[in-house]
Amino acid sequence: MHFLQSDKFEQNREVIILISIILGILVFATVLFFIWGKIKPTNQLKELKMRTNSWWVMASMFVLATLLHPVVSFVAFGLLSFAAMRELASISKNVRDDDRRVIIWCYIAIPIQYFFAYKGWFNIFIIFIPVIMHVWIPFMLVIRGITTEIGRSMGVLPTQMMLTIFSLSHLAYLLSLPEIPGFNAGGRGLLLYVVFLTEINDVFQFVWGKLLGRHKIIEKISPNKTWEGFIGGILSTAALAYFLRFLTPLTEIESVLIGLTIACSGFVGDVIVSAIKRDIGLKDTGTLIPGHGGILDRIDSLSLTAPIFFYIVYNLHYA
Amino acid sequence: MRSAFLAFLYSILMRGFLRIIVGVKYINKEVISKEKQFIIVSNHNSHLDTMALMSSLTFRQLSKTHPIAAGDYFGDSVAKSFITRLFTNAILIRRTKDGNSENPIDMMSRALSEGRSLILFPEGSRGEPEKMQEFKKGIGILLQKHPDIKYIPVYMRGMGKVLPKGEKLLVPFDTYVLFGQPSTTKAAEISEIVQEVEGKIMALRATFIQPVEETKD
Repeated sequence: MHFLQSDKFEQNREVIILISIILGILVFATVLFFIWGKIKPTNQLKELKMRTNSWWVMASMFVLATLLHPVVSFVAFGLLSFAAMRELASISKNVRDDDRRVIIWCYIAIPIQYFFAYKGWFNIFIIFIPVIMHVWIPFMLVIRGITTEIGRSMGVLPTQMMLTIFSLSHLAYLLSLPEIPGFNAGGRGLLLYVVFLTEINDVFQFVWGKLLGRHKIIEKISPNKTWEGFIGGILSTAALAYFLRFLTPLTEIESVLIGLTIACSGFVGDVIVSAIKRDIGLKDTGTLIPGHGGILDRIDSLSLTAPIFFYIVYNLHYA
Repeated sequence: MRSAFLAFLYSILMRGFLRIIVGVKYINKEVISKEKQFIIVSNHNSHLDTMALMSSLTFRQLSKTHPIAAGDYFGDSVAKSFITRLFTNAILIRRTKDGNSENPIDMMSRALSEGRSLILFPEGSRGEPEKMQEFKKGIGILLQKHPDIKYIPVYMRGMGKVLPKGEKLLVPFDTYVLFGQPSTTKAAEISEIVQEVEGKIMALRATFIQPVEETKD
Protein backbone atom coordinates (compact mmCIF):
# COMPACT_ATOMS: atom_id res chain seq x y z
CA MET A 1 0.00 0.00 0.00
CA HIS A 2 1.41 3.32 -1.07
CA PHE A 3 -0.03 4.89 2.05
CA LEU A 4 2.36 3.10 4.36
CA GLN A 5 5.46 4.32 2.58
CA SER A 6 7.25 6.74 4.86
CA ASP A 7 7.11 9.87 2.66
CA LYS A 8 3.37 9.42 2.20
CA PHE A 9 3.04 9.03 5.92
CA GLU A 10 5.01 12.23 6.49
CA GLN A 11 2.71 14.09 4.09
CA ASN A 12 -0.39 12.84 5.85
CA ARG A 13 0.89 12.96 9.39
CA GLU A 14 -1.53 15.61 10.71
CA VAL A 15 -4.53 13.97 9.12
CA ILE A 16 -3.54 10.57 10.45
CA ILE A 17 -3.15 11.96 13.98
CA LEU A 18 -6.69 13.35 13.94
CA ILE A 19 -8.15 10.22 12.37
CA SER A 20 -6.52 8.17 15.13
CA ILE A 21 -8.03 10.50 17.74
CA ILE A 22 -11.46 10.16 16.13
CA LEU A 23 -11.22 6.37 15.92
CA GLY A 24 -10.16 6.31 19.56
CA ILE A 25 -13.19 8.38 20.59
CA LEU A 26 -15.49 6.20 18.49
CA VAL A 27 -14.21 2.94 19.91
CA PHE A 28 -14.49 4.40 23.39
CA ALA A 29 -18.06 5.66 22.79
CA THR A 30 -19.20 2.42 21.16
CA VAL A 31 -17.85 0.30 24.02
CA LEU A 32 -19.25 2.71 26.62
CA PHE A 33 -22.75 2.75 25.09
CA PHE A 34 -22.67 -1.03 24.63
CA ILE A 35 -21.93 -1.59 28.31
CA TRP A 36 -24.37 1.15 29.34
CA GLY A 37 -27.05 -0.51 27.15
CA LYS A 38 -26.46 -3.85 28.88
CA ILE A 39 -26.83 -2.30 32.33
CA LYS A 40 -29.56 0.31 31.87
CA PRO A 41 -31.11 0.79 28.42
CA THR A 42 -32.91 4.13 27.93
CA ASN A 43 -34.37 6.05 25.02
CA GLN A 44 -31.65 8.64 25.22
CA LEU A 45 -29.08 5.91 24.79
CA LYS A 46 -30.70 4.93 21.49
CA GLU A 47 -30.20 8.47 20.22
CA LEU A 48 -26.57 8.40 21.35
CA LYS A 49 -26.02 5.04 19.67
CA MET A 50 -27.52 6.36 16.44
CA ARG A 51 -25.20 9.35 16.55
CA THR A 52 -22.20 7.11 17.13
CA ASN A 53 -23.17 4.94 14.18
CA SER A 54 -23.41 7.88 11.81
CA TRP A 55 -20.08 9.03 13.15
CA TRP A 56 -18.56 5.72 12.19
CA VAL A 57 -19.86 6.20 8.65
CA MET A 58 -18.44 9.74 8.49
CA ALA A 59 -15.08 8.67 9.88
CA SER A 60 -14.77 5.72 7.49
CA MET A 61 -15.56 8.08 4.64
CA PHE A 62 -12.62 10.28 5.54
CA VAL A 63 -10.27 7.38 6.06
CA LEU A 64 -11.27 5.96 2.68
CA ALA A 65 -10.79 9.31 1.02
CA THR A 66 -7.32 9.62 2.53
CA LEU A 67 -6.35 6.11 1.47
CA LEU A 68 -7.96 5.97 -1.95
CA HIS A 69 -8.60 9.04 -4.02
CA PRO A 70 -10.27 12.44 -3.54
CA VAL A 71 -12.88 11.50 -6.18
CA VAL A 72 -14.31 9.06 -3.62
CA SER A 73 -14.97 12.00 -1.30
CA PHE A 74 -16.62 14.04 -4.03
CA VAL A 75 -18.98 11.20 -4.91
CA ALA A 76 -19.69 10.51 -1.23
CA PHE A 77 -20.49 14.15 -0.48
CA GLY A 78 -22.60 14.33 -3.63
CA LEU A 79 -24.63 11.35 -2.43
CA LEU A 80 -24.94 12.96 1.00
CA SER A 81 -26.32 16.14 -0.58
CA PHE A 82 -28.67 14.04 -2.70
CA ALA A 83 -30.01 12.08 0.26
CA ALA A 84 -30.46 15.27 2.28
CA MET A 85 -32.21 17.09 -0.57
CA ARG A 86 -34.45 14.08 -1.15
CA GLU A 87 -35.32 13.88 2.52
CA LEU A 88 -36.16 17.56 2.72
CA ALA A 89 -38.25 17.43 -0.47
CA SER A 90 -40.06 14.34 0.82
CA ILE A 91 -41.13 15.74 4.17
CA SER A 92 -41.84 19.27 2.98
CA LYS A 93 -45.50 20.14 2.86
CA ASN A 94 -44.76 23.47 1.20
CA VAL A 95 -44.11 21.85 -2.15
CA ARG A 96 -47.09 21.10 -4.37
CA ASP A 97 -47.69 17.66 -5.90
CA ASP A 98 -47.31 19.20 -9.36
CA ASP A 99 -43.77 20.22 -8.53
CA ARG A 100 -42.32 16.71 -8.73
CA ARG A 101 -41.12 17.31 -12.29
CA VAL A 102 -39.33 20.47 -11.16
CA ILE A 103 -37.70 18.74 -8.19
CA ILE A 104 -35.79 16.57 -10.66
CA TRP A 105 -33.87 19.75 -11.61
CA CYS A 106 -32.78 20.10 -7.98
CA TYR A 107 -31.29 16.60 -8.22
CA ILE A 108 -29.66 17.30 -11.59
CA ALA A 109 -27.93 20.34 -10.07
CA ILE A 110 -26.05 18.12 -7.58
CA PRO A 111 -23.53 16.43 -9.93
CA ILE A 112 -23.04 19.75 -11.73
CA GLN A 113 -22.24 21.61 -8.51
CA TYR A 114 -19.86 18.87 -7.35
CA PHE A 115 -18.19 18.83 -10.75
CA PHE A 116 -17.42 22.52 -10.37
CA ALA A 117 -16.08 21.79 -6.89
CA TYR A 118 -13.90 18.97 -8.23
CA LYS A 119 -12.50 21.14 -11.01
CA GLY A 120 -11.98 23.99 -8.57
CA TRP A 121 -13.82 26.48 -10.78
CA PHE A 122 -14.45 28.91 -7.97
CA ASN A 123 -16.43 31.60 -9.79
CA ILE A 124 -19.05 29.30 -11.29
CA PHE A 125 -19.06 27.18 -8.11
CA ILE A 126 -20.23 30.06 -5.94
CA ILE A 127 -22.89 31.38 -8.33
CA PHE A 128 -24.33 28.17 -9.76
CA ILE A 129 -26.94 27.53 -7.07
CA PRO A 130 -27.54 30.98 -5.52
CA VAL A 131 -27.84 32.70 -8.91
CA ILE A 132 -28.36 30.31 -11.81
CA MET A 133 -30.58 27.72 -10.09
CA HIS A 134 -32.43 30.49 -8.26
CA VAL A 135 -33.58 31.65 -11.68
CA TRP A 136 -33.87 28.27 -13.36
CA ILE A 137 -36.14 26.64 -10.77
CA PRO A 138 -38.77 29.44 -10.80
CA PHE A 139 -38.61 29.44 -14.62
CA MET A 140 -39.28 25.69 -14.71
CA LEU A 141 -42.18 26.21 -12.29
CA VAL A 142 -43.61 28.90 -14.55
CA ILE A 143 -43.34 26.62 -17.60
CA ARG A 144 -45.51 24.03 -15.81
CA GLY A 145 -48.21 26.68 -16.00
CA ILE A 146 -49.89 26.16 -12.62
CA THR A 147 -49.78 29.47 -10.78
CA THR A 148 -51.75 28.60 -7.65
CA GLU A 149 -49.35 29.00 -4.72
CA ILE A 150 -46.42 29.09 -7.13
CA GLY A 151 -44.62 31.69 -4.99
CA ARG A 152 -44.30 29.19 -2.16
CA SER A 153 -42.59 26.62 -4.33
CA MET A 154 -40.37 29.31 -5.86
CA GLY A 155 -39.13 30.15 -2.39
CA VAL A 156 -38.96 26.69 -0.85
CA LEU A 157 -37.10 24.72 -3.53
CA PRO A 158 -34.08 27.07 -3.89
CA THR A 159 -33.86 27.35 -0.10
CA GLN A 160 -33.75 23.58 0.19
CA MET A 161 -31.01 23.51 -2.43
CA MET A 162 -29.01 26.08 -0.48
CA LEU A 163 -29.30 24.07 2.75
CA THR A 164 -28.42 20.68 1.30
CA ILE A 165 -26.45 21.12 -1.94
CA PHE A 166 -24.74 24.50 -1.90
CA SER A 167 -23.65 24.32 1.73
CA LEU A 168 -22.32 20.75 1.75
CA SER A 169 -20.49 21.16 -1.55
CA HIS A 170 -18.14 23.56 0.26
CA LEU A 171 -16.81 20.60 2.22
CA ALA A 172 -15.87 18.95 -1.05
CA TYR A 173 -14.39 22.16 -2.45
CA LEU A 174 -11.94 22.26 0.46
CA LEU A 175 -10.24 19.28 -1.21
CA SER A 176 -9.72 21.31 -4.39
CA LEU A 177 -7.98 24.22 -2.71
CA PRO A 178 -4.42 24.84 -3.95
CA GLU A 179 -1.50 23.77 -1.78
CA ILE A 180 0.12 26.32 0.48
CA PRO A 181 3.89 25.94 1.00
CA GLY A 182 4.76 24.81 4.51
CA PHE A 183 1.26 23.54 5.26
CA ASN A 184 1.08 19.79 4.81
CA ALA A 185 -2.42 18.69 5.72
CA GLY A 186 -4.02 20.60 2.81
CA GLY A 187 -7.70 20.41 2.02
CA ARG A 188 -8.18 17.14 3.88
CA GLY A 189 -6.92 18.76 7.04
CA LEU A 190 -9.38 21.63 6.69
CA LEU A 191 -12.20 19.23 5.90
CA LEU A 192 -11.50 17.10 8.95
CA TYR A 193 -11.09 20.20 11.09
CA VAL A 194 -14.48 21.74 10.28
CA VAL A 195 -16.44 18.49 10.33
CA PHE A 196 -14.86 17.31 13.55
CA LEU A 197 -15.37 20.66 15.32
CA THR A 198 -18.97 20.92 14.11
CA GLU A 199 -19.93 17.46 15.31
CA ILE A 200 -17.99 17.66 18.56
CA ASN A 201 -19.65 21.04 19.20
CA ASP A 202 -23.04 19.29 19.04
CA VAL A 203 -21.75 16.77 21.55
CA PHE A 204 -20.29 19.48 23.82
CA GLN A 205 -23.54 21.49 23.80
CA PHE A 206 -25.47 18.32 24.56
CA VAL A 207 -23.18 17.27 27.41
CA TRP A 208 -22.91 20.74 29.01
CA GLY A 209 -26.68 21.13 28.67
CA LYS A 210 -27.21 17.82 30.49
CA LEU A 211 -24.75 18.72 33.24
CA LEU A 212 -25.64 22.35 33.96
CA GLY A 213 -28.61 23.23 31.75
CA ARG A 214 -31.25 25.42 33.45
CA HIS A 215 -32.27 28.29 31.20
CA LYS A 216 -33.86 27.43 27.87
CA ILE A 217 -32.95 29.46 24.81
CA ILE A 218 -35.83 28.76 22.40
CA GLU A 219 -38.10 26.26 24.06
CA LYS A 220 -40.69 26.17 21.27
CA ILE A 221 -38.24 24.96 18.66
CA SER A 222 -35.56 23.03 20.48
CA PRO A 223 -36.50 22.24 24.10
CA ASN A 224 -33.11 20.71 24.90
CA LYS A 225 -31.10 23.82 24.08
CA THR A 226 -30.00 25.77 27.13
CA TRP A 227 -27.79 28.83 27.67
CA GLU A 228 -25.45 26.79 29.87
CA GLY A 229 -25.05 24.13 27.19
CA PHE A 230 -24.54 26.74 24.50
CA ILE A 231 -21.88 28.70 26.37
CA GLY A 232 -20.10 25.57 27.61
CA GLY A 233 -20.21 24.28 24.03
CA ILE A 234 -18.71 27.31 22.34
CA LEU A 235 -15.92 27.60 24.91
CA SER A 236 -14.97 23.92 24.65
CA THR A 237 -15.13 24.04 20.86
CA ALA A 238 -12.97 27.16 20.73
CA ALA A 239 -10.40 25.47 22.96
CA LEU A 240 -10.36 22.39 20.76
CA ALA A 241 -10.12 24.57 17.64
CA TYR A 242 -6.99 26.09 19.14
CA PHE A 243 -5.33 22.73 19.86
CA LEU A 244 -6.20 21.22 16.47
CA ARG A 245 -4.95 24.19 14.45
CA PHE A 246 -2.01 22.07 13.19
CA LEU A 247 -4.52 20.82 10.59
CA THR A 248 -4.95 24.29 9.14
CA PRO A 249 -2.88 27.27 8.03
CA LEU A 250 -4.64 29.39 10.69
CA THR A 251 -2.81 31.51 13.28
CA GLU A 252 -3.55 31.11 17.01
CA ILE A 253 -6.04 33.98 17.25
CA GLU A 254 -7.71 33.01 13.99
CA SER A 255 -8.23 29.45 15.18
CA VAL A 256 -9.93 30.54 18.40
CA LEU A 257 -12.21 32.96 16.54
CA ILE A 258 -13.04 30.27 13.99
CA GLY A 259 -13.83 27.85 16.82
CA LEU A 260 -16.31 30.37 18.24
CA THR A 261 -17.81 30.98 14.79
CA ILE A 262 -18.22 27.26 14.09
CA ALA A 263 -19.89 26.74 17.47
CA CYS A 264 -22.35 29.62 16.99
CA SER A 265 -23.21 28.84 13.36
CA GLY A 266 -23.58 25.16 14.20
CA PHE A 267 -26.17 26.13 16.78
CA VAL A 268 -28.01 28.33 14.26
CA GLY A 269 -28.01 25.59 11.60
CA ASP A 270 -29.34 23.15 14.17
CA VAL A 271 -32.29 25.32 15.15
CA ILE A 272 -33.12 26.24 11.53
CA VAL A 273 -33.50 22.58 10.60
CA SER A 274 -35.36 21.91 13.88
CA ALA A 275 -37.83 24.65 12.99
CA ILE A 276 -38.39 23.17 9.52
CA LYS A 277 -39.08 19.79 11.11
CA ARG A 278 -41.47 21.31 13.68
CA ASP A 279 -43.42 22.90 10.85
CA ILE A 280 -44.18 19.45 9.48
CA GLY A 281 -44.97 17.96 12.86
CA LEU A 282 -41.78 15.94 13.25
CA LYS A 283 -39.98 16.23 16.54
CA ASP A 284 -36.66 14.53 16.69
CA THR A 285 -36.15 13.02 13.30
CA GLY A 286 -36.26 13.88 9.64
CA THR A 287 -38.12 10.69 8.77
CA LEU A 288 -41.78 9.85 8.97
CA ILE A 289 -41.24 6.71 11.05
CA PRO A 290 -40.56 7.17 14.75
CA GLY A 291 -37.20 5.89 15.92
CA HIS A 292 -35.42 6.00 12.56
CA GLY A 293 -33.03 8.91 12.25
CA GLY A 294 -32.69 10.82 9.01
CA ILE A 295 -29.80 12.44 7.19
CA LEU A 296 -30.98 15.94 8.08
CA ASP A 297 -30.49 15.32 11.78
CA ARG A 298 -26.83 14.67 11.11
CA ILE A 299 -26.03 17.50 8.76
CA ASP A 300 -28.16 20.26 10.27
CA SER A 301 -25.25 22.09 11.89
CA LEU A 302 -22.85 21.32 9.04
CA SER A 303 -25.14 23.02 6.54
CA LEU A 304 -24.22 26.34 8.12
CA THR A 305 -20.71 25.78 9.43
CA ALA A 306 -19.36 24.42 6.13
CA PRO A 307 -19.87 27.53 3.95
CA ILE A 308 -19.04 29.98 6.75
CA PHE A 309 -15.80 28.19 7.61
CA PHE A 310 -14.96 27.89 3.93
CA TYR A 311 -15.31 31.58 3.18
CA ILE A 312 -13.37 32.69 6.25
CA VAL A 313 -10.45 30.40 5.51
CA TYR A 314 -10.59 31.11 1.79
CA ASN A 315 -10.44 34.86 2.28
CA LEU A 316 -7.75 34.69 4.96
CA HIS A 317 -5.33 32.31 3.25
CA TYR A 318 -6.32 31.43 -0.29
CA ALA A 319 -7.74 34.54 -1.93
CA MET B 1 -30.26 -20.07 -14.52
CA ARG B 2 -33.49 -18.20 -14.24
CA SER B 3 -33.27 -17.92 -10.46
CA ALA B 4 -29.72 -16.61 -10.78
CA PHE B 5 -30.98 -14.02 -13.26
CA LEU B 6 -33.77 -12.94 -10.91
CA ALA B 7 -31.42 -12.85 -7.94
CA PHE B 8 -28.97 -10.66 -9.81
CA LEU B 9 -31.72 -8.39 -11.07
CA TYR B 10 -33.49 -7.85 -7.77
CA SER B 11 -31.02 -8.47 -4.98
CA ILE B 12 -28.25 -6.47 -6.57
CA LEU B 13 -29.36 -4.11 -9.33
CA MET B 14 -32.88 -3.29 -8.26
CA ARG B 15 -32.20 -3.21 -4.53
CA GLY B 16 -29.24 -0.90 -5.00
CA PHE B 17 -31.18 1.36 -7.31
CA LEU B 18 -34.19 1.51 -5.00
CA ARG B 19 -32.17 2.17 -1.87
CA ILE B 20 -29.57 4.60 -3.16
CA ILE B 21 -31.35 6.46 -5.94
CA VAL B 22 -35.05 6.23 -5.11
CA GLY B 23 -34.55 6.29 -1.35
CA VAL B 24 -36.55 3.21 -0.36
CA LYS B 25 -36.23 2.32 3.32
CA TYR B 26 -37.17 -1.20 4.37
CA ILE B 27 -38.41 -1.49 7.93
CA ASN B 28 -38.77 -4.84 9.76
CA LYS B 29 -37.60 -6.59 6.61
CA GLU B 30 -36.09 -9.41 8.64
CA VAL B 31 -39.53 -10.94 9.33
CA ILE B 32 -39.78 -12.08 5.75
CA SER B 33 -36.51 -13.99 5.37
CA LYS B 34 -37.56 -16.75 7.78
CA GLU B 35 -40.81 -17.60 6.00
CA LYS B 36 -41.00 -20.47 3.52
CA GLN B 37 -44.40 -19.85 1.98
CA PHE B 38 -46.43 -16.68 2.34
CA ILE B 39 -48.80 -14.23 0.72
CA ILE B 40 -47.57 -10.64 0.82
CA VAL B 41 -50.56 -8.32 1.01
CA SER B 42 -49.90 -4.67 0.36
CA ASN B 43 -51.37 -1.37 -0.65
CA HIS B 44 -50.79 -0.33 -4.25
CA ASN B 45 -49.86 3.09 -5.62
CA SER B 46 -47.21 2.56 -8.24
CA HIS B 47 -45.49 0.16 -10.62
CA LEU B 48 -42.54 0.39 -8.26
CA ASP B 49 -44.50 -1.46 -5.56
CA THR B 50 -43.84 -4.87 -7.11
CA MET B 51 -40.17 -4.06 -7.68
CA ALA B 52 -39.73 -2.91 -4.08
CA LEU B 53 -41.37 -6.06 -2.68
CA MET B 54 -39.46 -8.43 -4.99
CA SER B 55 -36.21 -6.75 -3.92
CA SER B 56 -36.92 -7.53 -0.27
CA LEU B 57 -36.90 -11.30 -0.88
CA THR B 58 -34.01 -13.71 -0.41
CA PHE B 59 -32.41 -15.63 -3.31
CA ARG B 60 -34.39 -18.76 -2.55
CA GLN B 61 -37.72 -17.00 -2.17
CA LEU B 62 -37.35 -14.99 -5.39
CA SER B 63 -37.89 -17.77 -7.91
CA LYS B 64 -40.87 -19.15 -5.99
CA THR B 65 -42.71 -15.88 -5.48
CA HIS B 66 -45.23 -14.59 -7.99
CA PRO B 67 -46.77 -11.13 -8.06
CA ILE B 68 -50.36 -11.16 -9.22
CA ALA B 69 -50.73 -8.72 -12.11
CA ALA B 70 -53.66 -7.54 -14.14
CA GLY B 71 -53.70 -9.44 -17.42
CA ASP B 72 -55.86 -6.85 -19.11
CA TYR B 73 -53.14 -4.27 -18.43
CA PHE B 74 -49.84 -6.14 -18.60
CA GLY B 75 -50.99 -8.91 -20.91
CA ASP B 76 -52.73 -6.90 -23.60
CA SER B 77 -49.86 -7.32 -26.07
CA VAL B 78 -47.48 -10.24 -26.57
CA ALA B 79 -44.41 -8.06 -25.92
CA LYS B 80 -45.76 -6.55 -22.70
CA SER B 81 -46.86 -9.94 -21.41
CA PHE B 82 -43.44 -11.49 -22.25
CA ILE B 83 -41.54 -8.70 -20.49
CA THR B 84 -43.78 -8.89 -17.43
CA ARG B 85 -43.32 -12.66 -17.16
CA LEU B 86 -39.58 -12.52 -17.82
CA PHE B 87 -38.81 -9.88 -15.22
CA THR B 88 -41.29 -10.58 -12.45
CA ASN B 89 -42.50 -14.20 -12.56
CA ALA B 90 -45.95 -12.66 -12.57
CA ILE B 91 -49.19 -14.58 -12.74
CA LEU B 92 -51.43 -12.61 -15.08
CA ILE B 93 -55.11 -12.62 -14.24
CA ARG B 94 -58.20 -11.13 -15.85
CA ARG B 95 -59.86 -8.54 -13.66
CA THR B 96 -63.15 -8.76 -15.59
CA LYS B 97 -65.04 -11.95 -16.39
CA ASP B 98 -64.87 -12.93 -20.07
CA GLY B 99 -65.89 -16.58 -19.89
CA ASN B 100 -63.01 -18.30 -21.67
CA SER B 101 -60.04 -17.58 -19.36
CA GLU B 102 -59.42 -19.43 -16.09
CA ASN B 103 -60.87 -18.11 -12.83
CA PRO B 104 -58.13 -15.96 -11.24
CA ILE B 105 -58.76 -17.36 -7.75
CA ASP B 106 -58.20 -20.91 -9.04
CA MET B 107 -54.92 -19.87 -10.65
CA MET B 108 -53.67 -18.33 -7.41
CA SER B 109 -54.92 -21.22 -5.34
CA ARG B 110 -53.13 -23.73 -7.58
CA ALA B 111 -49.87 -21.79 -7.22
CA LEU B 112 -50.25 -21.91 -3.44
CA SER B 113 -50.92 -25.66 -3.54
CA GLU B 114 -47.66 -26.09 -5.47
CA GLY B 115 -45.83 -24.47 -2.56
CA ARG B 116 -45.38 -21.11 -4.21
CA SER B 117 -45.74 -17.68 -2.62
CA LEU B 118 -47.78 -14.74 -3.88
CA ILE B 119 -47.62 -10.95 -3.84
CA LEU B 120 -51.11 -9.54 -3.86
CA PHE B 121 -52.51 -6.04 -4.07
CA PRO B 122 -56.13 -6.40 -2.91
CA GLU B 123 -56.98 -2.82 -3.86
CA GLY B 124 -56.97 -4.07 -7.45
CA SER B 125 -55.49 -0.97 -9.04
CA ARG B 126 -53.07 1.81 -8.19
CA GLY B 127 -54.96 4.56 -6.44
CA GLU B 128 -53.99 8.07 -5.49
CA PRO B 129 -50.87 8.45 -3.31
CA GLU B 130 -51.42 7.74 0.42
CA LYS B 131 -55.13 6.99 -0.09
CA MET B 132 -56.35 3.42 0.23
CA GLN B 133 -59.20 1.92 -1.74
CA GLU B 134 -61.52 -0.80 -0.51
CA PHE B 135 -60.05 -4.32 -0.63
CA LYS B 136 -61.35 -6.86 -3.10
CA LYS B 137 -62.46 -10.14 -1.56
CA GLY B 138 -60.01 -12.44 -3.42
CA ILE B 139 -57.56 -12.41 -0.53
CA GLY B 140 -60.38 -13.61 1.75
CA ILE B 141 -61.25 -16.52 -0.50
CA LEU B 142 -57.61 -17.55 -0.84
CA LEU B 143 -56.90 -17.48 2.90
CA GLN B 144 -60.12 -19.38 3.58
CA LYS B 145 -59.02 -22.11 1.17
CA HIS B 146 -55.48 -22.18 2.59
CA PRO B 147 -55.85 -21.41 6.28
CA ASP B 148 -52.36 -22.73 7.10
CA ILE B 149 -50.52 -20.28 4.84
CA LYS B 150 -49.20 -17.13 6.49
CA TYR B 151 -49.90 -13.70 5.11
CA ILE B 152 -47.56 -10.74 5.59
CA PRO B 153 -49.21 -7.31 5.71
CA VAL B 154 -47.11 -4.55 4.16
CA TYR B 155 -47.73 -0.83 3.99
CA MET B 156 -45.79 1.25 1.50
CA ARG B 157 -45.63 5.00 1.69
CA GLY B 158 -44.39 7.45 -0.91
CA MET B 159 -44.34 5.15 -3.97
CA GLY B 160 -47.20 7.09 -5.50
CA LYS B 161 -45.08 10.21 -5.36
CA VAL B 162 -42.03 8.62 -6.93
CA LEU B 163 -43.88 7.11 -9.88
CA PRO B 164 -47.60 7.88 -9.82
CA LYS B 165 -50.22 6.34 -12.03
CA GLY B 166 -50.05 7.78 -15.53
CA GLU B 167 -46.59 9.33 -15.08
CA LYS B 168 -43.47 8.17 -16.92
CA LEU B 169 -40.82 10.25 -15.13
CA LEU B 170 -39.43 8.70 -11.96
CA VAL B 171 -38.59 11.33 -9.33
CA PRO B 172 -36.73 10.12 -6.21
CA PHE B 173 -38.44 10.73 -2.86
CA ASP B 174 -37.98 8.99 0.47
CA THR B 175 -40.17 5.91 0.45
CA TYR B 176 -40.95 3.41 3.18
CA VAL B 177 -41.78 -0.28 2.99
CA LEU B 178 -43.06 -1.32 6.40
CA PHE B 179 -43.50 -5.05 7.07
CA GLY B 180 -45.98 -6.40 9.61
CA GLN B 181 -45.78 -9.71 11.48
CA PRO B 182 -46.54 -12.80 9.36
CA SER B 183 -49.55 -14.72 10.67
CA THR B 184 -52.27 -17.15 9.65
CA THR B 185 -55.81 -15.89 9.68
CA LYS B 186 -58.09 -16.52 12.64
CA ALA B 187 -61.38 -15.58 11.00
CA ALA B 188 -63.53 -18.05 9.10
CA GLU B 189 -65.82 -15.89 6.96
CA ILE B 190 -64.46 -14.35 3.77
CA SER B 191 -65.53 -10.83 4.68
CA GLU B 192 -64.03 -11.16 8.16
CA ILE B 193 -60.70 -12.30 6.72
CA VAL B 194 -60.64 -9.35 4.33
CA GLN B 195 -61.43 -7.04 7.25
CA GLU B 196 -58.68 -8.57 9.38
CA VAL B 197 -56.05 -8.13 6.66
CA GLU B 198 -57.20 -4.62 5.84
CA GLY B 199 -57.17 -3.72 9.53
CA LYS B 200 -53.56 -4.88 9.90
CA ILE B 201 -52.44 -2.78 6.94
CA MET B 202 -54.33 0.21 8.30
CA ALA B 203 -52.56 -0.29 11.64
CA LEU B 204 -49.18 -0.26 9.88
CA ARG B 205 -50.25 2.89 8.11
CA ALA B 206 -51.09 4.53 11.44
CA THR B 207 -47.51 4.11 12.73
CA PHE B 208 -46.35 6.78 10.30
CA ILE B 209 -46.23 10.35 11.45
CA GLN B 210 -48.85 12.11 9.40
CA PRO B 211 -47.70 15.46 8.03
CA VAL B 212 -50.00 18.21 9.24
CA GLU B 213 -51.84 18.68 5.95
CA GLU B 214 -52.81 15.05 5.50
CA THR B 215 -54.43 14.68 8.89
CA LYS B 216 -57.02 17.30 8.04
CA ASP B 217 -59.21 15.04 5.87
